[in-house]
Amino acid sequence: MRFTTTAAAALLLIALPSWCQAQGKLCDNPRPMQGFKTCADVDKAEAEGAFTLYSTDPEAGQVKLLAAFNKAFPKIKTSYVRLQAGALYAKVLSERQAKSYLVDVIQLSDMGMILDFQKRGGFRQYVSPEMAAFKPEYKSQPEGYWTWGSIIMGGIAYNPNNVSAAEAPKTWQDLLDPKWTDAVNVKVSNSGLQHGVYYMLKPILGDDYFKKFAAIKPRAFDSYVQQYGRLVDGQDKIIMGAQYSGYIEFKAKGAPLAFVFPETGVPAVSETYGIVADGPHPNAAELFMDWFLSPIGQQALSEALLLHSPRADVPAPAGGVALKDMKLLVPADWHEFEKSRPEFAKEWDRIVGARR
Amino acid sequence: MTAPVKGWLRSGNHWQGAITLPVLLVVAFLVLLPVVFLLEESLNTGDPMAFPPQQYGLANYAAMLEEDLQVIVNTVVIAVTATMMAVVIGFTLAWILTRTNVPGRDRLERLMQLPYYMTPLVGALAWAVLASPKSGFFNQMWRWVGGEGDLFNIYSMFGIAWIMALFEGTVAFVMISAAMKSMDPALEESARVIGASKLRTALTVTLPLVMPGVLGATLFVFAEMLGSFAAALVIGIPARVYVITTAIWDSTLSYPPAYGRASAMGLALFVVMFAMLSGYRWMVARGSFATITGKAFRPRTMDMGRLAWPLFAVCALYIVLAVALPLAALLLTSLERFATALLSQAQFTLANYEMALALGPVRTALANSLLLGLGVATVGVLVMALLVWIIYRSEMVGRGAVEYLVMFPQAVPRLVFGLALLWAWLNMPIPIYGTLWLLALAYFTVMLPIGVRTLAGVVLQVDKSLEECARVCGAGWLYQLRTISLPLLKPGVIAAWLLIFMASVRELGVSVFLMGPNAKVIAPSIVGAFASSGIELTAAMALIQTFTVVVALMILFRLTRGMTRELT
Repeated sequence: MRFTTTAAAALLLIALPSWCQAQGKLCDNPRPMQGFKTCADVDKAEAEGAFTLYSTDPEAGQVKLLAAFNKAFPKIKTSYVRLQAGALYAKVLSERQAKSYLVDVIQLSDMGMILDFQKRGGFRQYVSPEMAAFKPEYKSQPEGYWTWGSIIMGGIAYNPNNVSAAEAPKTWQDLLDPKWTDAVNVKVSNSGLQHGVYYMLKPILGDDYFKKFAAIKPRAFDSYVQQYGRLVDGQDKIIMGAQYSGYIEFKAKGAPLAFVFPETGVPAVSETYGIVADGPHPNAAELFMDWFLSPIGQQALSEALLLHSPRADVPAPAGGVALKDMKLLVPADWHEFEKSRPEFAKEWDRIVGARR
Repeated sequence: MTAPVKGWLRSGNHWQGAITLPVLLVVAFLVLLPVVFLLEESLNTGDPMAFPPQQYGLANYAAMLEEDLQVIVNTVVIAVTATMMAVVIGFTLAWILTRTNVPGRDRLERLMQLPYYMTPLVGALAWAVLASPKSGFFNQMWRWVGGEGDLFNIYSMFGIAWIMALFEGTVAFVMISAAMKSMDPALEESARVIGASKLRTALTVTLPLVMPGVLGATLFVFAEMLGSFAAALVIGIPARVYVITTAIWDSTLSYPPAYGRASAMGLALFVVMFAMLSGYRWMVARGSFATITGKAFRPRTMDMGRLAWPLFAVCALYIVLAVALPLAALLLTSLERFATALLSQAQFTLANYEMALALGPVRTALANSLLLGLGVATVGVLVMALLVWIIYRSEMVGRGAVEYLVMFPQAVPRLVFGLALLWAWLNMPIPIYGTLWLLALAYFTVMLPIGVRTLAGVVLQVDKSLEECARVCGAGWLYQLRTISLPLLKPGVIAAWLLIFMASVRELGVSVFLMGPNAKVIAPSIVGAFASSGIELTAAMALIQTFTVVVALMILFRLTRGMTRELT
């Protein structure tokens, strides 16, 4: 009996750390800070004195977000690299292969890349006390590798100066009308949101929907900025899969725009954040994640980039519809979503005329 | 010490060997290493993120022919059209400004170089505002005077070529000007004395004499056009006209990245470039282009009489199209809350300048770009002058191969070469990735072609007899270089310095992949703003960059007034 108890205790001692790691273990005593809780060693983070974020978000918004963090922790100097998702992910993978570790936290707008990075052991697990406020589907399993930092959705946008409300498309099917030929723009195939739009709408609207969509000859652009710019100038009439945060931004500047949430729903994807393994400033990275996932960090994100927070206790960006009032179409299986990417990229390139 | 050794030391051969050999080795290493990685990746048919590749094959090349044929055709058509326009414009303007007495020559020449000071996106963004269908200023004016439909459509293959020629073709003007400045006017004067007209003199005497410069410029500009990205990005994509650079851009942005496809497309251009370089060498080898001989000359210009004013108008028209209108369009855009060419809905603000100046990283990036430009141009031009001397003046075995070698970076689109440099330097045991040192090395590598081509055009004009005279008189190699070769090459050296400086400040292709969080440069920041923050902020950033570069150059020329008289 004594032997059995000792053996069981020994086994528990061996298995417990790895079990805790697998489940994600919160520190025993999170420290309350200015509006959030942290398990990070703040003194060590400040001693590290620097923090680097790799992100796909617009530079101007990113600077504002990091400035808000720097205001809370002036001893931590922030820097960033901004690239599009594919290029950013390829860069970080190449760096890691060469054992060059420059980044502390990475944000990617494509869940496929996030899952791949997790599979490659690229994330370091850190369970932030703030993660409790996020739904399970917004976090990695086990918890602590990555968490959704914001949600992006795509609907239909038009310029009311050029398209009347009566004439404007109300449903996704309305976009197939030949009158929109050469008048619609979309994002390029490396956009996570565009992939989400294609992936979620194809089963709902039928396999031939996008074949018919190709007939109206849509033009593809890198970012929502160019898409809305062309709408405002009358060079295009409609944006299919229009990024909602872009609409809020342009509308706030006084641009003549209208946004349609089709009844079928609006496809949505996430911007996901995680601490990179072997980063140069591990304590600063933990502190950033705690701050960023808290209501004050999420509010700073909402103000800087006009994105919706996944947290229920953070309001929608000023001038935007709340998440609860939208019908979001979110992929249920991200692994399947990722598997569909190569086929989507080829098909989308053909639809927008990027390949023969 | 024995007499033969003393003689060898006195001859300067040991200096020659001690300097040229390490330079050649370093240059070969810098150029060949990324090319090896590029070749390997083009044959990678397995996981694009695996280093070294796990599967090899020719599938990327086959896919290129199968799926990207239209892209290749578009690229060649646009590059040929743009090169022809750029060389014609460059030769005409260079001839007017160096060989004629057109009024206001010095000022015109400085204004002429302005497009090259601007970031590559400037021209494309500005012409998108000026000549877009429906909303472009030109089309709005057309409808205002009663016209119907659109008079101009910049979103076309010709539109892309036009912008490339106008903005990236400035390099042809600078290279041809350098050759013309070094030309003895006695031959032109002889032609005039025996009754040739001014136009005939220009076409039958001036043009053949500056042929190395023109051919070098054509070769360089064509390669530049093949790898041109900005106009293809801003104008080509809305027009659904994809070229190799935009296809490569998409390939590297998607995940999994199509590195194999991008590398194969990049290497395919090698064939075209090698054929062109071989043609250039053949033409240069069979003719004599030396116009600077032992006989003294003073550059003189032709008196054009009443024709001087029409020639002035030609220069002024170029400045209006390539400088005044684009800058005005961008200035207007930079003052808008959201970019629009429809003035009826425009709202004006200074917020974009506030934002651009508030972006701390942008300030750092601009300073880094200027620092890199100064450093790379100054060190680079010395090394490149040495390389040119090795290629065209030394008796070294394999010097022809050196010329091919230094053209490698130009033969591959810059974006692809940037990726190759990333792979090469990430796998080096020297920890300079993510620092300005790596960017400096990368810039030097990709600037080799422009520096060598510019200097070569001038070196070929200097008769070998001058150097031989010096040697006969007992001058050592270094002494001869210092007192004969370099002073004669001064206009070419200064032109090369300026081109390298500007190309470094504008550099985008390799910077995108090599810059780290603490080693940023300005061009990718501006392209990033275009891609993600809006044209109005991009315009403000581009104008700030142009203004800063012009001011920096003015200060520099003022400080080095004696040396750079030709440019000031």
